Amino acid sequence: MLDQAASRRLLTTDAASQRSAGSLRVGRINLEVRQSIPLWLQALILGGAALLGIAVSAALLVAAGVSPKDLFDEFVVETFTDSGNFHSILFQAAPLIFVGVGAAVVFRIRFWNLGIEGQMIWGGIGATFVVLHTIGPPALRLPLMMLFAVLAGMAWVALPAWLRMRLGVNEIITTLLLNYVALNFLLHLLYGPWIDPKDAFPHSQQFHSFERLPEIGWGLSSALPIALLCTALAAWLVLFSRFGFYTKFVQDNDRMALAVGVPIKAVTFVCVLLSGALSALAGFVIATAQEGRLTQSFFEGYGFSGILIAFLARNNPIAAMIVAVLVAVLFVSGRSLQVFYQIPFAMVQLIQAIIVISVAASEFLIRHRLHWVH
Amino acid sequence: MAAALKLAGVRKSFDGFPALDHADFEAEAGEVHALLGENGAGKSSLMNVAAGLYAPEAGRIFVDGEEVVLTGPRDAIARRIGMVHQEFKLVRPFTVAENVLLANWRGRFAHGLREMERQIRTQAEQLGFAVDPRSRIDELSIAERQRVEIIKVLLAGARILILDEPTAVLTDEEAVRLLTTVRTLAARGTAVILVTHKLGEVTAFADRVTVMRGGRAVAVLDARSTTADELTKLAVGTRVTPPRRASSPPGARRIAVEGLQVARADGHMTVVDATFHVRAGEIYGIAGVGGNGQTELVEALTGVRAPLAGSVELDGAGDTTGASAERLRDLGIASIPADRFGYGLAGGLSVIDNFCVGQVHTAFYGSWLWTDGASMRKAATRAVAEFDVQGVHNMRQKSALLSGGNAQKLIIAREFSRDPKVIIAHSPSRGLDVRACAAVHERLLNARAAGAAIVLISDDLDEVLSLSDRIGVMTRGRIAAEFIAPADRQAVGRVMVHHA
Repeated sequence: MLDQAASRRLLTTDAASQRSAGSLRVGRINLEVRQSIPLWLQALILGGAALLGIAVSAALLVAAGVSPKDLFDEFVVETFTDSGNFHSILFQAAPLIFVGVGAAVVFRIRFWNLGIEGQMIWGGIGATFVVLHTIGPPALRLPLMMLFAVLAGMAWVALPAWLRMRLGVNEIITTLLLNYVALNFLLHLLYGPWIDPKDAFPHSQQFHSFERLPEIGWGLSSALPIALLCTALAAWLVLFSRFGFYTKFVQDNDRMALAVGVPIKAVTFVCVLLSGALSALAGFVIATAQEGRLTQSFFEGYGFSGILIAFLARNNPIAAMIVAVLVAVLFVSGRSLQVFYQIPFAMVQLIQAIIVISVAASEFLIRHRLHWVH
Repeated sequence: MAAALKLAGVRKSFDGFPALDHADFEAEAGEVHALLGENGAGKSSLMNVAAGLYAPEAGRIFVDGEEVVLTGPRDAIARRIGMVHQEFKLVRPFTVAENVLLANWRGRFAHGLREMERQIRTQAEQLGFAVDPRSRIDELSIAERQRVEIIKVLLAGARILILDEPTAVLTDEEAVRLLTTVRTLAARGTAVILVTHKLGEVTAFADRVTVMRGGRAVAVLDARSTTADELTKLAVGTRVTPPRRASSPPGARRIAVEGLQVARADGHMTVVDATFHVRAGEIYGIAGVGGNGQTELVEALTGVRAPLAGSVELDGAGDTTGASAERLRDLGIASIPADRFGYGLAGGLSVIDNFCVGQVHTAFYGSWLWTDGASMRKAATRAVAEFDVQGVHNMRQKSALLSGGNAQKLIIAREFSRDPKVIIAHSPSRGLDVRACAAVHERLLNARAAGAAIVLISDDLDEVLSLSDRIGVMTRGRIAAEFIAPADRQAVGRVMVHHA
C-alpha cells in the first residue's frame, strides 16, 4: 500500500540553506500524497482558497479606485440590507442555479456538456412554440411550456450523447458547435416567422400574463422555488440514490464499471438528458420570468457560468446552488460597480477567473500533505 | 573497505503511516545484493531514499564510508547512485539516444547526441544488449526499454545500481538474460542492488541478501547457502505452505462453451474456436503463452465483449451467449480480472464503494431510492476482516492505495461474498508475493470445495498445474489440447509452444 502511495513521485524541497551533512540543517518541507482526507479539512482548504481569491479580487478593485468601505457596502451590506438588491440577486440566481446544477450532474460522469447555451435556446424555443401555437387552455399553458422546453433541451443534447456513446465522437466538440446551430436557428426564427408582429423587432411577441411565471409574494418569482426543487431532486439522485452510487463508478473507471455490471449506458444517458433538461429550464425561466418573451441574447454568458459554478461546487448539486447564489451576488454587485464607479464588467469576469484559479490550485493541498522534517 | 552504500536507521512515513522503521542496509562494490521482502515491506521505499527521491525523517546515508545528504535524484546521481524504477522513466516518442541525453546532459545538443549514440553503442556492446540508439522508445519491447534504462543509468556513471523488481515485467527467458548481465556488471566492480520478491532469483543470482519485513531489515544472509524455505520464513514471518487441492468428485456441468469466436476491438479475431465445459466443484485451467486469445476469452465469458459466433450455456439459465455483464453477474458469474486496477477496482473510489458495487443492485444496501451508507460500511468492514485485506487504515481510503495483493483480496472479497456459481479467474496471482499468492489460491480452492465451477486462465504454468482438475491449452485462439490432472508438465509445455 505504501509502495503505491510512494510510486507517485514525491517531491522534496530543501528549505534549509545549509545543505551539507552538518548538524546545522534546520529541516525541510516534505510533500506526501495523502491517503485520505477528512471532509472538514477539504472544506477548509477549499474555503480558504476561495477567501484568498476574494481577497486578491478585493485588492484589485481597491486598486481600480473603489474604496474598501464602498466595496464592503456594495458586496455585503447592500446584498443583505437593500431589499431591491436582495431581490435582484434572487432573481438572477434562479437561472444560474439551473445551469450550475445541470453542469454538475453531467460533469460527474465526465461528460463535458459545453452546450448549455444551446440547450437554453431550445428551452426558450420550446416554451415560445407553445405560446405562438396557443397549445392547451390558458390554465395548462405554463406547465405545457415547461414540458416543451424540457423536451426540446433534452432532444438537443441527446444527439451528442448518442454520437459519443455509439460512435465515440467527442462531446466537447459536438455540444459546443451545436450552440452555434441553435443560435442561428433562433435568429432565423426571430428575424423570420416569429418576429414580433406589433413592433417588428427581432424578438417574439410578448407572452400573456398566464404564460409568465407568477410571483410568490415579496416580489419573488416562482422561478426560485422551482430551481430549489430541481436542485433537491438532482441532489437526491446523484448523492443518495443507487443511481448516484453508479455515477461514481462511471466517473472513476468506466471499464471497471462495465465489468462489474453497472448499467453505464443508462447512467450516462440519464445524466446527460437531465443536464439538457435543467439547462432548458434556465432558458425557460429567463423567457417566462425575466423577459416575458423570447429574445436573441437571453442565454448569453450562462454557459460559462454554469461550468464555473459546477467546478467551484465540485459537481455537488447542493454546493452548486450555493455557489450560484454567490455568483448572482457578484453579477448584481458588479453591475452597480459598473454604474457607480465606472468599473468595466470585465472586472466581474476577472474576479470569477481569480476565484476559480485559486480554488483549482488548492486541489494540490487536498491531494498532498506538507510537513516539516528536521 | 567501507561499503559502497550504507543506510542506517532510516525512517520514513507516508501520511502518518510508517513505511520504513529504522531500516538498515549495506551493499558492497562487486556484489549482487538482493533486497527481498513481501509487497509493502518497504523495499522500494528504502531504495527511493537511496536514490534521493524520498527525504527520510531520520537516518543516515553513507557512500563509500562518507556521510551524504541527498536532496534529490541529482545528488544521488552525482554520488554515482543510479536506480531503474519499476515504471520506466522514458519519453516514449523520443529516441533511445535522446532519452539518455536528457538524463545526462552534454553541452551542445547535436554534438552531444552523436557522442551519446557512440557511447550507447559501446555500452550496449559491453553488456551484450542489442540496442539501436536511434530507435524510438515506442517501438521497443518492455525488455528493450529496460535495457535502455540500465544503459542510461550506467552512462550517468553509476557504480551503485539499484534495480527495482526488474524481472516483474519480463518473461522467464528475458529474466535469466538480464540477471546474467547483472552478474557481469558486479564482476566489473559495480554494487548491484536487486529488489525482488522472487526467491529463485535470490538463490540463483545474488551474493548476499537482505530480508525486509514491516519496514525493517530483519536479516542479512549469504544467498548461496540459504534456502528458499528459510527466506520465505524470514520474509513472511511464518512458514507458508502452498494450499493443496483435495480430490473430490465434480458435480453437474455448470458452464459449457462451444465454438466461441471473439474479435478484438480492432476487428482481429483472437479467439478462433474455444470449446470446453466446467463442472461444479472443478477447476478448469487454461494454460498458454499470453496473447493467444486469453484476454478476449475472459471478456466474452464475463459479458464485457460480445462474441462473434459460438455459444455459452449456463446451467439453469440456458443460452447466455452475448449476455451483458449485468445479467451474467445476476446469474452467478464472478470475475477476477488480470488487470486489477483496470477492470477490478475503481482506484479513485473508497474500499467501501469498491466492495459494495458488487451487490448494490440487489437492494442489499437499500432500494433504488436510497443507498444505506451505514449498512454498506458494515458489510465492507466485515468482508475486509474476513478476507484479510490489509493496509486498510480507513474504510474511506482510495482503493488505489492498496498493494497488489490486498487489491486482489478486496476483489475476491467482493466477488466471492455472493456465493458465485461460476468463477472466471485471469492470472489471479500475477505480481503477488508468496503469502498473498497462497491466500488467493486458497480462496479459489475453497470456492471449488463449496461447489463453484472455476475457469482459471493463467500464463503461469505452475499455477495452472497445481490448482486445476483439468487443463486446456490455449494456442492461437484455440483450446488445442486437454489434460487431466496430474498432467505432465513437459507435455503441456510442448503443446503451448508447438502450436504457437
